[in-house]
Amino acid sequence: MGYTFHFDVVWRNLGFLLSGVELTLIVTAAALSSGALLGLVVALGRMSSRRWIQMPAIGYIELFRNTPALIQLMWVYYCLPILTGLELSAVVSATVALAINGAAYIAEIIRGGIQSVDRGQVEAARTLGLSYAQTMRKVVLPQAFRRMIPPFVNESVSILKFSSLVSVLGVADLTYQAQVLSTTTFRPIEIFSFIALVYLVLCSALALFARRLELRLAVSD
Amino acid sequence: MNSVVRVEKLSKSFGELQVLRDIDMEVHEREVVVLIGASGSGKTTLLRCINCLELPTSGRIWVNGEPMGDFDSGGAFRPLPEIALNRRRAQIGMVFQRFNLFPHLTARQNVTLAPVMVKRMPQAEADVLARSLLAKVGLSDKAEVYPSKLSGGQQQRVAIARALAMNPQLMLFDEPTSSLDPELVGEVLETMKQLAREGMTMIIVTHEMGFAREVGNRILFLHEGRILEQGKPEEVFNRPREERTRAFLSRVR
Repeated sequence: MGYTFHFDVVWRNLGFLLSGVELTLIVTAAALSSGALLGLVVALGRMSSRRWIQMPAIGYIELFRNTPALIQLMWVYYCLPILTGLELSAVVSATVALAINGAAYIAEIIRGGIQSVDRGQVEAARTLGLSYAQTMRKVVLPQAFRRMIPPFVNESVSILKFSSLVSVLGVADLTYQAQVLSTTTFRPIEIFSFIALVYLVLCSALALFARRLELRLAVSD
Repeated sequence: MNSVVRVEKLSKSFGELQVLRDIDMEVHEREVVVLIGASGSGKTTLLRCINCLELPTSGRIWVNGEPMGDFDSGGAFRPLPEIALNRRRAQIGMVFQRFNLFPHLTARQNVTLAPVMVKRMPQAEADVLARSLLAKVGLSDKAEVYPSKLSGGQQQRVAIARALAMNPQLMLFDEPTSSLDPELVGEVLETMKQLAREGMTMIIVTHEMGFAREVGNRILFLHEGRILEQGKPEEVFNRPREERTRAFLSRVR
């Protein structure tokens, strides 16, 4: 093997590399929260009994789950301004694209959670005189929410990793900083291996937090 | 005597399958009516039509003299608007075969949810009510326990307390002991007997023939979606008029 690893390039530029973590986290958090809200709307549409509400929701989910996230990203950044005249900065475009993509998955997570609640729960609540909205709020959603946590964590981890795609728009996230550093130091293997480790730490922290939350909510089991 | 439930020409179909055919039925105040019949005879569906958990295909139902559907148009059964239906349902207690307690709430919270949400009762007042109802079903010490920590019989008694919290004028029981271990059936039946003694109007679907005979004022035998025979327990159990009733009773005994 003729290659010698030189990880000192990572240590010498540690500050520069890690300066991308902040943007990675901001983009992920913003995409995740707006994606969750949009996902909730799409999920409610998907579960509607009215076809004219249900069909667009199904269309949305299928479109964004079944096309590459990278292309969605480029479409929002390059194509949206051409079609609508709406020009978004690279960071905002990246966040919007990730949110739109994530919402399609989150919608299905929410729908799955709600539909996994036993029908008998709804029947019991309705026979007590609770309205549909009260039944949702007090009986169905609290139970569904707990079951949504594990798949929602998966999706969060997924979005965190997908956020590396925003580097193609020149957003100075963790991955972008690694690219910049690689082109000047010619040490891509060391640098990208290192940032993979950073992603691992970030994702693990997220999963750990979710596990805690799950345990706290599981008091009644 | 006041009529609590009146059913006229009630029919229900699931697609091609007709489950109930032209049922006429009346239940009076303080009466305990027991529906018996083979599985598939329509007894559970009949019970679920009374509070519109199942929407009838046609026919009319009144509970406490109030219509459970919009009968002005005639013909097919049209449900009430949601708000009116919720108000009617709040006066009809229901106990399910599989308890359907809310697993994320304690026994006490299961009981207080509806009074607080539907009747706008202050939580403190609802808590007092819950404690007295849990005491009534013999579960004073389980108020702060979650359903998963209760036996089936205890869960079903909490479910009865939950229904009673709305101070219903009618209680519907859908095979309340069918998913219980045999040794737990007695405690639930005992609670129901107590309710009957206090004068609660009850409609019960059950396979417990001894209980039906002891507690029922009237037995309705359903067969293929019709009420084939009805009468006092000693008449139906000792001297059934219909051959099919005799055949059914000989099988379950």
